[in-house]
Amino acid sequence: MAMIEVEDLHKRYGPVHALRGISFEVERGVLTGFLGPNGAGKSTTLRILAGFLGATEGRVRVSGFDLSTHRLEAAQKIGYMPETSPLYPEMKIEEYLRFRAELKGVGRSKRTEEVGRACELTRIADRRRMLIRDLSKGYRQRVGLADALLGRPPLLILDEPTAGFDPNQVQQVRALLDALREDHTIFLSTHILSEVEATCEEAVVIHEGRVVASGNIEALRQRKRAGVVEVTFHRGEGELKEAALDTWLTREHAIASARRRRTEGELETWRVTLGPGVDPSAIAALVARLVHAGAGIQAVEPLAASLEEVFADLTGGTPDDDDDDPEDEG
Amino acid sequence: MTGFWPILKRELFALFVTPLAWVVITGFLFIQGLHFYLVMSHYAVSMELGADAGPMQLFFGQTVFLYLPLLLLCPVLTMRLFAEERRSGTIEPLLTAPVTTPAVVFGKYLAVLVVYLAMWLPTLLYVKIVAGAGHVDGQVVAASYLAVIAVGAGYLAIGTMTSALTKSQLSAAILSAVTIIALFILGIGEYVLPEGSGKELCAYLSVWSQMNDFSRGVVDSRRLWLDLTIIVVPLFVTVRAVEAWRQEL
Ligand SMILES: Nc1ncnc2c1ncn2[C@@H]1O[C@H](COP(=O)(O)OP(=O)(O)O)[C@@H](O)[C@H]1O
Ligand SMILES: [Mg+2]
Repeated sequence: MAMIEVEDLHKRYGPVHALRGISFEVERGVLTGFLGPNGAGKSTTLRILAGFLGATEGRVRVSGFDLSTHRLEAAQKIGYMPETSPLYPEMKIEEYLRFRAELKGVGRSKRTEEVGRACELTRIADRRRMLIRDLSKGYRQRVGLADALLGRPPLLILDEPTAGFDPNQVQQVRALLDALREDHTIFLSTHILSEVEATCEEAVVIHEGRVVASGNIEALRQRKRAGVVEVTFHRGEGELKEAALDTWLTREHAIASARRRRTEGELETWRVTLGPGVDPSAIAALVARLVHAGAGIQAVEPLAASLEEVFADLTGGTPDDDDDDPEDEG
Repeated sequence: MTGFWPILKRELFALFVTPLAWVVITGFLFIQGLHFYLVMSHYAVSMELGADAGPMQLFFGQTVFLYLPLLLLCPVLTMRLFAEERRSGTIEPLLTAPVTTPAVVFGKYLAVLVVYLAMWLPTLLYVKIVAGAGHVDGQVVAASYLAVIAVGAGYLAIGTMTSALTKSQLSAAILSAVTIIALFILGIGEYVLPEGSGKELCAYLSVWSQMNDFSRGVVDSRRLWLDLTIIVVPLFVTVRAVEAWRQEL
């Protein structure tokens, strides 16, 4: 039985149809990313999973408990961190976490240890006597994360856990997630693709209230972007030696664009995109043309799209696909 | 009722640590101190009041000083209960914890009720002072306190409800103040309406005559049923309102 089972879930906010029939499963012990642009419906879905909002239609089960009939049992299995980490400003971190631990049924004798552990893991132990109203956004987020860990629930549902952190802290959060994945099923949302690439094994991608892709990250990455190849070659001594290669390469109508990605000594790598609807055999023609012009071809690789591009394809956006994009270099 | 205790404790913490509870209690005691002083000086000069109208009876009945602070302080005590949690978003972690909605509502309600009782506690000193100066009828005192607790508990339940029905503390306070003042004013009907069922209804609903009765040591159980209704119905509505947010937030 999967940890989370969502079947044909709909949510309407008055006239706004935020979720339009989404279905997915999250397996036990797997760190799954819930990816989608802002407004896709991630927070809405997580709020329903956490039992905060009711579904308009559809079925949601957490650890086998149907949320419409067994919310309390499901809630006991979940550590939930809401998007903005709302907290009581008049409490100290420690007071707040003790309250939360008690609320989650952590026994009196275990409370101190449990709060201590959550503070250590989220690195707030040194501030535990600070008033929440005096905390920075990053620290509030950590308190929210510590709260989710209390009582060691088998499922962590985290809404944008790295938002509000600087890059250094993001690394810390990733390290924490890595440590937690041993004992917890984690379902985290993000609108940042590299986040999913860096931490998750599986992903569910949603866009405008619908699931547009789901599955293993590698499998998603392997979705080739049709008609894009990277050709690595040296120019040789022929007509290419001094040519403006971008115009030369796009001289044939089949080639929509060509851009240099890398240069290593003599070797240049060019990314070539075929025009829409062009038969892939055009690549063979291009290679033949290069060879004819005296180039020494070293490699022709159909491009394994970066997740970013898959994401952009799925959500109908354009990828931030410029030459110094670190995601593409690996 | 999973979650009832921690919620009660946290609410009390919030009421006393943000000085709201202290402000309300201080304000209340100031007004009641003044009230007690007036009663005592009145009693000292007009001996013709007779044996059946002791100072405690005068303190609890026949005077608006007793209710006026309640009409204003009860809404202030209850206004933040739910409205503030919704405004700040803390309602989300609260309702996603393994707690039942009735536990949330009763925990919060009982916290303000405890403050309310704490607010009345020092007035027992007045009883002691009067007892030191002469005879105090135990039944009058017991019935009077029963009445202020029953009436106040109803006002607090109404305030809890309006706090759940609105998103801002201010509108919660205004709405509950208007509701309990309206209830209070209904009682005036007893004196202005012609004989008939309308007059009887107003008399039944009148907090004013309840206080007069109880302050004479007369415990009318029909009144207590009314008070209980005014506690239970708003709390029930509150539970339903909180559950409704889950659908429409
Ligand atoms: N309380 C609400 N009332 C009305 N519309 C809402 C509410 N919450 C979210 N929405 C709408 O639902 C859609 C999905 O929002 P959300 O789940 O917050 O997306 P995400 O978390 O992916 O950014 C958005 O169009 C948003 O405007
Ligand atoms: Mg969101």
